Amino acid sequence: MIGTCVYDFCTAIIQITTKTVTKGVNIMKKKALSILLTMAMAAATLAGCGNSSTSAQPAESKQEADAASADKASEEKAPAAEGEAVTLKLFSNLPDRKNGQGLVEQMIIDEYMELYPNVTIEVETLDEEAYKTKFKAYSMEGMPDVVSIWGQPSFLDEVLEAGVLAELNEADYADYKFLAGSLDGFRKDGKLYGLPRNTDIEGIYYNKKMFDDNGWKVPETYDELLALAKTINDAGIIPMAMDGGDGWPMAIYFSDLLFKITGDYRELVSNALATGDFSDPAFVQATQLLKDAADAGLFQTGYDSQDYGTAMNLFTNGQAAMFYMGSWEASMALNEDIPQEIRDNIRVFTMPVVEGGKGKATDIEAWNGGGYAVSAGSAVKDEAIRFLNFMYQPDKLSKYGWENGVGMSAQDQTEYMTGEETELQKQFVELVNNATNTSGTTVNDCGPSAFKTRIESEIQGVSNGSSSIEEFLTAIGESCK
Amino acid sequence: MRFSKKKVEKGERSSEMKKLYSNKLVITSLVLPGLLLFVFAILAPICLSVYYGFTDYSGMGNFNMIGLENYKTLMHDKVFWLALRNSLFLAVGFICIQHPLAMIVAAVLDKLGKRSEGFFRCVYFIPNVISVAVIAYLWKFIYNPDFGLLNNVLKAFGYTGKINWLSQQNAIWSVLVVLIWHGFGWGMLIYYTGIKNIDPVLYEAAAIDGANQRQTFLKITLPMMKGVIQVNVTMAVISALKQMETVYLLTAGGPNNATQFTANYLYQQAFKAFKYGYGNAISVVFIIICLVVTVALNKIFEDREG
Repeated sequence: MIGTCVYDFCTAIIQITTKTVTKGVNIMKKKALSILLTMAMAAATLAGCGNSSTSAQPAESKQEADAASADKASEEKAPAAEGEAVTLKLFSNLPDRKNGQGLVEQMIIDEYMELYPNVTIEVETLDEEAYKTKFKAYSMEGMPDVVSIWGQPSFLDEVLEAGVLAELNEADYADYKFLAGSLDGFRKDGKLYGLPRNTDIEGIYYNKKMFDDNGWKVPETYDELLALAKTINDAGIIPMAMDGGDGWPMAIYFSDLLFKITGDYRELVSNALATGDFSDPAFVQATQLLKDAADAGLFQTGYDSQDYGTAMNLFTNGQAAMFYMGSWEASMALNEDIPQEIRDNIRVFTMPVVEGGKGKATDIEAWNGGGYAVSAGSAVKDEAIRFLNFMYQPDKLSKYGWENGVGMSAQDQTEYMTGEETELQKQFVELVNNATNTSGTTVNDCGPSAFKTRIESEIQGVSNGSSSIEEFLTAIGESCK
Repeated sequence: MRFSKKKVEKGERSSEMKKLYSNKLVITSLVLPGLLLFVFAILAPICLSVYYGFTDYSGMGNFNMIGLENYKTLMHDKVFWLALRNSLFLAVGFICIQHPLAMIVAAVLDKLGKRSEGFFRCVYFIPNVISVAVIAYLWKFIYNPDFGLLNNVLKAFGYTGKINWLSQQNAIWSVLVVLIWHGFGWGMLIYYTGIKNIDPVLYEAAAIDGANQRQTFLKITLPMMKGVIQVNVTMAVISALKQMETVYLLTAGGPNNATQFTANYLYQQAFKAFKYGYGNAISVVFIIICLVVTVALNKIFEDREG
């Protein structure tokens, strides 16, 4: 336990300092608040060995809360627990409370506390990786009441096995307009343990103005994409910014290709995970196509060691023509830190079809990842579930998310469309509406976390040519055993 | 009169102190805090690590005892051996590149004198004062192939290609440079202090005998610094073995484990891959390796002294 604390503390320190630096070099200034939050977290971790906890104060964004919907929600006042002081602890993976998803979460929290003055919600936030580490520490010492989770085997399998999440009554959510299939990842043995927050769609963002000025066309086949890579390179521009240092974006790229090759990889992947045998020709082809892209110079030099921020900066500074990332970055179109000329010209297309592949152009790589759950050991479980349900009322997460350009929620959002959405948002809506099939969870998140760690590391080696396709497929197979 | 009274008082006091120090209760109360700290912060976690090393604990929920299974896996774990090799590579790099440089710079500094001495001492020590995270990000930018300082400097000299400093092949060297640069000031400062402690009379004598600078350095400075070198080398090896934070922030062990180090790998397995038991097995082996290396180093130096 003490060992855990020490590690936990180290991670926290690293987090803080990373943040400070990131701020110093001015990459993501909007994340300034998260430094404070992380520092609070470090204090919490220090005290963590003694089982006490500190919580970060919620950021002030009350003004932004939608007053109209607050009124609406007040009609359905809480039946019980009124007047009785309740403190809910929320543990979230959204440290940025001023932008995007974190802002939306905070708006709902503030609204809820205003509505029920007896309820105090304490928020603690950490970035994804540190979040997962702390989550584990909490699972041993007692979870906060409401937590962020991921409805994917790589995260949820171990968590559900440990029995730390409360079962939810699925019938309660009949009118919550969840999209078909979006709850699947959050079930185990027919029981529901969490609710999805987003529908994530993987896309290739591109700079439309740059494309038009140079006469480049959005590629319709994978070969065209690779040919385009050469053309763009010849023009002295980076074709596609890739966050290869983290591994997971490339693993999604691999999944995207696999989906275009197979038309549906669920069974293929689950069989491969069960047997540890990834020798199927589809895996070989997908790996080969990824390698072809790297060899063709589609990605920037040194993509395999560059992080999210660096890759994204290449695109938002106009040094790269395309950027491979999920729909959660659709708020780039509203981000005023990005020069307007670029911000207004960001458009998206999806992975083009692969020759001879079964996947159609309208079959898109999309899944339901992040979400929320309630702790099984919570002392105020009823109140926590009530808050969870409040967040998921269709006019909360979905509506606010939509208005803040966060991307697609896991609920039907059509009624919140105003016609004033950014072009990028409209494109994503169109992609979903026209979709003939969606992929479901990406390959790296289909297996246990040991598999996830392995594939996300090995994929760097196979794409940069330091290991062969065979070695790659054998290595990821080994990690399933 | 007054003088002698003082003396008496002093004598009484010291005998009282002696009494106090021979009181077992006092001894215990003085030793206990340190002992407790050692037991709970070092010994207990190690024992727990040994225990968890025999389990398949994921970090959450229940676990089973699986005996030596983790250690068997470890023997065949290519990444672990790669990480260990990298750690040793780093140690060798420190001893062969960083320390000779640090010592020479310290000797030169000693000769500078006056203001410039203080100025350069300060300049060389600056990297040590900066937080590891700043260092890591600083170098991330320096190494960036598209807008990094290094490639831009090369461009100024007419080289137009883009060198990928953190590629699979180059990354370990790039990391070594950062770590050498970062730890340089510390090593230099210790050598510098060592040199300052050498009796100037020796140098005077050497000068009278007509020794040149090189001879003075080889025949006086170096032999007189034996103890300092021993301390520095031991510290260098230990810091190489437990290297974690710079690498974690600079490359996170990538690309594809090219810059993986034992401590970082241990962390990844225990906390990212949900293999807490396995991570602990790695840490046990790691502790043993560190102990063996330290003992071996001490032996080597002992022999020399003897």
